Amino acid sequence: MDAKYADSFVVEGKLALPYQYFAGRTGSRFITTIRDKKKIMGLKCDRCGKVFVPPRSTCERCFVDISNNWVDVKNTGTVTGFTVIRYKEPYQPFDPPYIQALILLDGADTPMVHIVKGIPVSQMQMGLRVKAVFAKKTTATIMDIDHFRPDVKDHVKLGYTYEELEIGMTASFSKTITETDVYLFAGISGDFNPMHMNEEFAKKTPFGTRIAHGALPQCLCAPVLGMKLPGLGTVALEITTRFKAPTYFGDTITCTGEIIEKLEDRKWVRMSLTWTNQDDKLVAEGKALVMPPQSS
Amino acid sequence: MARRVGICAVAQTTYEPDKWTERFQGMALEVIESIQAQTGVDFSAGRGIGMSINVSDDIFDARTISDNAMTDVLGAHFGCEEKVAQEGIQAIYYGLAAIQSGHVDVVLVVGHCKESQGKSRNRVTHVAFDPFYTRPVGLDFCAAAGLQAQAFMDQSGLTEEQLAAVVVRSRENALKNDRLPAVEPVTVEEVLNSPMLADPIRRLHAYPVSDGAVGMLLVAEERVNEFSDTPVWITGVGNSMDSFFLGDRDLASNDALKQAARRAYRRAGIADPKTAFDVVEVSDLYAYQQPMWLEGLGICDTGKGGLTASTRGHCKPVINPSGGTLAGNPMILGGLVRAAEASLQLMGKANGHQVEKAATALAHGVMGPAGQFHSVVTLARA
Repeated sequence: MDAKYADSFVVEGKLALPYQYFAGRTGSRFITTIRDKKKIMGLKCDRCGKVFVPPRSTCERCFVDISNNWVDVKNTGTVTGFTVIRYKEPYQPFDPPYIQALILLDGADTPMVHIVKGIPVSQMQMGLRVKAVFAKKTTATIMDIDHFRPDVKDHVKLGYTYEELEIGMTASFSKTITETDVYLFAGISGDFNPMHMNEEFAKKTPFGTRIAHGALPQCLCAPVLGMKLPGLGTVALEITTRFKAPTYFGDTITCTGEIIEKLEDRKWVRMSLTWTNQDDKLVAEGKALVMPPQSS
Repeated sequence: MARRVGICAVAQTTYEPDKWTERFQGMALEVIESIQAQTGVDFSAGRGIGMSINVSDDIFDARTISDNAMTDVLGAHFGCEEKVAQEGIQAIYYGLAAIQSGHVDVVLVVGHCKESQGKSRNRVTHVAFDPFYTRPVGLDFCAAAGLQAQAFMDQSGLTEEQLAAVVVRSRENALKNDRLPAVEPVTVEEVLNSPMLADPIRRLHAYPVSDGAVGMLLVAEERVNEFSDTPVWITGVGNSMDSFFLGDRDLASNDALKQAARRAYRRAGIADPKTAFDVVEVSDLYAYQQPMWLEGLGICDTGKGGLTASTRGHCKPVINPSGGTLAGNPMILGGLVRAAEASLQLMGKANGHQVEKAATALAHGVMGPAGQFHSVVTLARA
């Protein structure tokens, strides 16, 4: 057809009508709970056990009213599917490229579609553990969950769990105790006893020279228990120490911990502790009762 | 048993990315005049068209009650005028039901869409989502298809090369179809290097923005001979609607399509879909959908869709000889065009892309994000 655009009657139009949609009681409670409590809730079908997020007042399979069966789901979840949006449209929440993902929240049975940030597009994969980031400024919309990002807790290697610990496992930490350490410790503890501070006074004591505070080498059990065995996530419940020999300035003290008992009922472990100096002389010995980290 | 229904004529405009010199009413008129010329049908009371079904979409047409703009074109003033706003293939189901119930003998179905009228097709499909949970996170049909394509490729082992082959073959077929004058051939390399839209969907994996109209005349068994020497019988129909929320579905499962197919096959008395058809036309809006839907329809085994869609000779029927939706039909007409193309094959009137001795066919339509709704129609030469 030999038609010319310039000679054609073409109307420029636009469909744009401001609207208000009421989400209903179920949807309102879901959104306002995210807004006010930063908590995500679902509705559970008692008949089939399915937890719907976003919540639905009726189970679509069982045809039963579930509108009062609210359950809390976690802010964490697993990516069960994703795509990378590379085209630009005005309604998109972020500039492309961004990751649109199906996220199955812990405790829910229906993944919800949202956005994942904080990971390069090239490294995105199914099964990624993510955590909701709540919006700083709330809008009472689903965007009160601003986005999800990788759950960084997963990247910190927690210590051995109760199940992983075996009797006989050992770990140690060594450090040279200097005059500086002793002076700092005096400041920390308030113990400015001249036997630690004053060489002339110390000459008159049974040790003949200044020695470190007993609690200073004792502290070296903390990096053993808290960072090595069982490791990160451990809670110390009880530590007993019997001092056997003094620690002189310049001594290198090694604290060694060993698993000696597993307390099945409480899932705690008992450990033996020994402190030795550079000459393998026993400086102190004791025991520790600790609660190992739980599996994440 | 209800009386049979025959498709007595089909007509299509060309499908092009921007038919800006045509109004959609003009496109529809071209279709209706072709059907009248083929069959001699008119609107005379009791003899002619007893029901007109218009297929159109309010948002694509940018006006509510989009069929209002079509009443005079459809000859529906003071007549029985109906509208199907879902997939166009639904109008066949609707017309079939109207004839089988005894309400009318002759049904005119006409669908139109000018996707080019809107600034962005994605903005149209975006408003198919609910305003509470899925619009704010930016979903549209392309994004939803990306999620499904990723899930299906992960499960089925479908490869990038197979997807490219699907696109290349669609274009090869479309080049023989005179309804698709704007189609150009592509190479495997061009598809593989085409930019990503929504991973793993590439730009060339997506059907082009399309304008066009399609129509057909459905007639009751006892009056078929008045209108056609080459009628095509509708032997089975089946629909299935999956859950709305993407997270409520197993996106790679084909659950809804399998149900729709089972219903159609049961009505048609088809025991083995692998051997039942000479021609299969599926609505493949994105390249991954052709292998996926072929598996769901049971045309090939699960896990064999990639091979079947990418290489000839791995299944009995010829797949999408028209080029499929992938070559360019408006989305809302995809299934109706598939049924029109399948009918042309059975009438022996598919110019340039005729499948020899085609006696049975299947047409498939899909609507909603990531294949939420499926419709299957089975056809047989009279």
